Amino acid sequence: MDELMASHIGAFMLGQLTISLSEDEAVLAGPGPCPIDTEVVATPEAIREWVRIDALGRYRPLSGARTLRPNWHATFATLAALDEAIEAVYPLAQAHIAAWDEGTLRVVGLDEVLARQTGRYRSAASLSQEGRDLASSLLCAGCVRVPVWRRDYPAAGEIPCPEPCSVLVSYCREAVSWEEEHPAPRAIDPLVPFAAFEQPGNALRETYLYLPGVPL
Amino acid sequence: MTGGKRGLLLAGHGSHLDANSSAPIFAHAARVRARGCYDEVKVAFWKEEPGLSRAFDAFTAEDITVVPVFISSGYFTEEVLPRELGLATVGRTVRYAAPVGAHGALAAVIIQRAREAGAGPADAVAVLGHGTPRNPNSEKNIYAQAERVRTSGAFAEVTTVFLDQEPSMHNVFEMTAATTIVAVPVFVADGWHVGTTIPADLALDGAELRRDGRTLRYARAVGTHELVADVILALAAEAPLWTS
Repeated sequence: MDELMASHIGAFMLGQLTISLSEDEAVLAGPGPCPIDTEVVATPEAIREWVRIDALGRYRPLSGARTLRPNWHATFATLAALDEAIEAVYPLAQAHIAAWDEGTLRVVGLDEVLARQTGRYRSAASLSQEGRDLASSLLCAGCVRVPVWRRDYPAAGEIPCPEPCSVLVSYCREAVSWEEEHPAPRAIDPLVPFAAFEQPGNALRETYLYLPGVPL
Repeated sequence: MTGGKRGLLLAGHGSHLDANSSAPIFAHAARVRARGCYDEVKVAFWKEEPGLSRAFDAFTAEDITVVPVFISSGYFTEEVLPRELGLATVGRTVRYAAPVGAHGALAAVIIQRAREAGAGPADAVAVLGHGTPRNPNSEKNIYAQAERVRTSGAFAEVTTVFLDQEPSMHNVFEMTAATTIVAVPVFVADGWHVGTTIPADLALDGAELRRDGRTLRYARAVGTHELVADVILALAAEAPLWTS
């Protein structure tokens, strides 16, 4: 028995995960009412491979997206193994929670991140403030991480997000072209990849273009 | 007290669109971790998580070596990685290695990949790089690796072709004389280019193409070979202290 695990007996949520600790095992379960359907091999590699794909077989480039496959679990014998699995699902989440709790988390805002881009992402810095607000609100609404860089405040156990991710930078880059070219929204096509923002039918593209008050 | 702990960071590109792009880097990290040479071995990506700009957040080591798992030297290794990693302000001892594509030991991996695809002493090997007309530095490591493979004498002919610049991979039959040619993609992953665009552009039938009694065979990506872990460790051992 892992003595450290025995001292943490109980269950708690982290993002879409449910983590249950007993005297002799730790169970990591995905979302859904029936966490016994699929047993995933309890290695970081297997867990990482499992969570890279959603229930429709689509790649999940945003680790915090609320699209984890439902009804699965993995069982670990030690807290160290559990930590590695959590890291595979939500990279850096544990480090960022700890740093936030200690008041040492380095926070970087969207303006700074966009301003430092070069190459094909340099244009993202020309996105209007309204466009930045809309892009971040749409993307971050579907993510379990709480954007403390936007001055949102995580509740206990929630994962703070200290800096806009590369997916948001890409989204902002495409939004610049939408502000310039005013494309008409199309129907959402679930087969279009999550981050293929330039492709008509992309859910985040069409939602951005459809919403009233969009800065076009 | 964390003094004396050594960390190794493998910095890669990753992808928002290809689920397999970062797989070789995670695999190399696991191999390097198993060797036990470093107290901490982590990964970070330009286009995946953990992101480059937060790469040091979970390290406890104060002495960290960064190895760019990139083929080319240039824009990414000289501008994007140092900036995103915040090397100028990280506040720890950082050693910054040359990219994987620059190390001489990678030539042995190219030779190995060619042999795995059936290349023998009478055959031609085409070292296939990405290249880009936008950055003249992009081709340098590919040409240097091809020269090392040529100097090894393992194959009758060694040529260099590119996906996105001249000399184009489409000219590989005209650039060689051997009956059998093995094209070895010097890419990090068996991703979109290696798995989809190159086979489609070359009109490969499976892993080969037959034309006028000659055969072009297609090897797996160099960057996915387990021997790349040795290249990473060699680069890390040679990495100089970062100076901005």
